[in-house]
Amino acid sequence: MRRWAIRLLPVFAAVLVLSPLLRDPTSDTYPLSTYPMFATDRGQVHSIATAVERTDDGYGRLSPKLIAGTDEAVLASVTVKQAVRLGEADILCEEIVARLGADRRVEVRTETLDVVALSVEGSADSTVTVHATCGGGS
Amino acid sequence: MLRILVFTYAAVWTTVRAPHLLDTIDLASRRFAGIGPLWWLSEPVSALVIVAAVALTPIACGAAALGWQYRWSSLLGLVGFLFLTTYRNSWGQIFHTENLVALHICVLALFPAACAYWSLEKAGTPTDPAVGEELAGSIVKALAVLTVGTYFLAGVAKLRISGLGWIDGDVLRHQIAFDNARKELLGDPTAPFGALMLRNSWTLAPAAVAAIVVELAAPLALAGRRAAWLWCGLAVVFHFVILAVMAIVFPYHLIGIALAPLLPVERLGTTVAAWHCRFRKRSKRLRPTG
Repeated sequence: MRRWAIRLLPVFAAVLVLSPLLRDPTSDTYPLSTYPMFATDRGQVHSIATAVERTDDGYGRLSPKLIAGTDEAVLASVTVKQAVRLGEADILCEEIVARLGADRRVEVRTETLDVVALSVEGSADSTVTVHATCGGGS
Repeated sequence: MLRILVFTYAAVWTTVRAPHLLDTIDLASRRFAGIGPLWWLSEPVSALVIVAAVALTPIACGAAALGWQYRWSSLLGLVGFLFLTTYRNSWGQIFHTENLVALHICVLALFPAACAYWSLEKAGTPTDPAVGEELAGSIVKALAVLTVGTYFLAGVAKLRISGLGWIDGDVLRHQIAFDNARKELLGDPTAPFGALMLRNSWTLAPAAVAAIVVELAAPLALAGRRAAWLWCGLAVVFHFVILAVMAIVFPYHLIGIALAPLLPVERLGTTVAAWHCRFRKRSKRLRPTG
């Protein structure tokens, strides 16, 4: 390696790491990210796609592992959101039942709620839109 | 020293996250869309490739940390780490916790002069100190530039997307609340201090200003040792606050390896190397000759 190239290495590094500035800030990739993760105002009322287990007295929350086969909540959330958007809620529902057990009832749904109220008070009124129900012999 | 820290981190990360990385084998293939270096990949790779990458990458990174066959082990570590992390990010969600590790490994692997000072093969080999110092110094500076560059970009993104409105605290409030609500709805543990911060809403605007200042002021850490120490301290506090209010862990940053290129950690390596040389000389002197 020539010495001049080594001397210029910090400059190359700066150009490389700052190159995402030339892209739209929401156009993210890896590893040269624009780091848009906390930049957008998501608003106080939000629709969050999720999946729950229906029980006789209501419903129970499922872990990211059961919902999407991953231990990452963010990835599980995106998986449900994509499934709903692409009209594949039924397929996802069956996948969850396969992980949970055929006798269990699963619901893929979107909950629209005040996220600040939920975080502060521990509960919030929500509007539920059901996209798919499966399992339990249904 | 930096090479040891970065490659050790990569080896430990790939080992600890192996179950999660192996989980990708069972994910539905229709969810896959290659990004970044894997942009050309339209379908998931075979399970064998994932298993091989998960098995070999920690070994290669461990070998590179020790300086064993550095030229090859570092390149193999780079390819393995970049593949595994990019593949993990190709399922609809891009994570931002391993970007800097990948960039640091790129520099260390593509410019193997970094191993001139401390490696198993070169221990005891005389090197022109002036040349060695210049090469190693340039690589350390490049790693430092990458660190501050990522923080700076994160600050710029906030201003480009939300404008100066980001600092009034509302965006931060919604981000903290959304992140915790999503965790709640997806059966994941929420952050211990998220609700407390949201209840004390007067803290949000100062916290938002502090976050933007830490990010945009990152390049100032290159100005000198004192500035670097000050900024690194603020960056560590910044990451602990993110952990406390959003339960988001940036392990590479939290344990300080991301910030190490800005600090005099190489002195520690030089000191250890000097002890090693002194010990070897003394051993030779004491060895019986007849």
